[in-house]
Amino acid sequence: MKQINFILELYSYRNVLRQLIKQQLVLRYRRTVFGYLWTLINPLLTMSITAIVFSALFKMDFRSYVIYLFSGLMAWNCFCSIVTQLSGVFITYESLIKKIFIPKIIFPLAQSIGTLIDSLLSFIAIYTIIYLINPEISWSILFIPVAYLVLFIFAFGIGLIVSVATVFYRDLQHVISILMQAWFFLTPVMYKVSGVSLEAASLIKLNPVTPFIELFRAPLFLNQMPQSGTIATCCIYAAVSMALGALVFMRYKNLIIYRL
Amino acid sequence: MSSFIFVQGLAIQFRIYHNRAPSLKEGFANLLKPNTARQYENFYAIKNLTLKIASGERVGIIGANGAGKSTLLKALCRIYEPFKGSLIINGRVSPLLEVGAGFHAEFTGRENLYLNGAILGYSKEDLSKMEEEIIAFAELEQFIDTPVKYYSTGMYLRLAFAIATTVNPDILILDEMFSGGDASFVKKATDRMHQLINKANIMVMVSHQLELLEQLCTRVIWIEEGAIVADGSPGKIISSYLAAKS
Repeated sequence: MKQINFILELYSYRNVLRQLIKQQLVLRYRRTVFGYLWTLINPLLTMSITAIVFSALFKMDFRSYVIYLFSGLMAWNCFCSIVTQLSGVFITYESLIKKIFIPKIIFPLAQSIGTLIDSLLSFIAIYTIIYLINPEISWSILFIPVAYLVLFIFAFGIGLIVSVATVFYRDLQHVISILMQAWFFLTPVMYKVSGVSLEAASLIKLNPVTPFIELFRAPLFLNQMPQSGTIATCCIYAAVSMALGALVFMRYKNLIIYRL
Repeated sequence: MSSFIFVQGLAIQFRIYHNRAPSLKEGFANLLKPNTARQYENFYAIKNLTLKIASGERVGIIGANGAGKSTLLKALCRIYEPFKGSLIINGRVSPLLEVGAGFHAEFTGRENLYLNGAILGYSKEDLSKMEEEIIAFAELEQFIDTPVKYYSTGMYLRLAFAIATTVNPDILILDEMFSGGDASFVKKATDRMHQLINKANIMVMVSHQLELLEQLCTRVIWIEEGAIVADGSPGKIISSYLAAKS
């Protein structure tokens, strides 16, 4: 009964959700010359720099490395920005939360959906580059939306925990950005697992983000569907993360206002 | 369906920090040494408050500064969740606590109208019907597509007031801080407030203007230190409140 009420209430606030997402997407680039194009240009530029630097460093074939790197980075960037953005979400909307009642879940939802939309749009730009380098399309590309969905659920669950925890311990906002950087180096985005030492490889295998990278890399880099084992692992991780996130959120959501 | 408010044994607790918000370091330190003095103190802004407001009542809340009046209003608007006790509200609450709550400075007037309207519970269709009236009332026809950060304080207040008051209120929750901008606008705003109060099924307001309460309310509740001291007809409560104060 409580859950039904919760969902009904959420539904009645869908307009607020839409407005907050719009606010997030529209405002960032208002009054810039390229406007929304920055969402596309920005990741492309940073990714290209990484590609140039690391292909020179690792003496790899530039073209195949670009595809390897870009397919991994798009997954990582989406995950990382959802988690980092959610860590500050209640503090960002503090003034609103203190003045008017809105179901608290709306804020992390709006923030992460906004980030997901950005990621999907930049996917189009990144995929264009991948296609120009390697004009071969396989049906497995159709798996990408599913990959984004599973990744989103996984990231949202973790982000929800982080968003609540940050309200209680503000230090976390800074800790998170450092942790995410360490996590990034533990994730096979820039390098291949086969190239690292055995100890490092076993650590990388334990990293829950690793299979999610596979989810994107298989269709884009290998032009094939991800292995069913990988898909299953990702679904389990996503479900666990979401369940834990929901649990923590429901437990503490009413306290948020008192700690802002 | 008649509206009502039923507050049962409501308590709201705040933490007052002696120095600042707890850091992660202190969190860990407290885990290891649970006996160290706490950095904060618990403070009840509302203690065990029970209250029933029926449809048709116009309730004024009085009390000294810090008595818990605004906290009670915010609890009625669901901004503060009850720490203890329960709160049953039947009907749609229109909160008029602070002008311009939820405005975004970078947004234009029109965009804020839609954002704020959505927060207050209106659909897009409702809002597009109300849009023109709101803009006309706020006298902002020329500037409605300008970001509100370029608005003068008066323009800002007028728009916020117009959006917040273009409602068919069921349960109207009013804080005295809620007021309507520059002098020429005040008359118009006051008229509109009176209309709103007349239309509402239930009105709850906090004010220090005792004459205003006596004029508008059918019932006055006197609150001190988060608890009800007296509750009854405006004339009686206000005179005993004044007697106690002097």
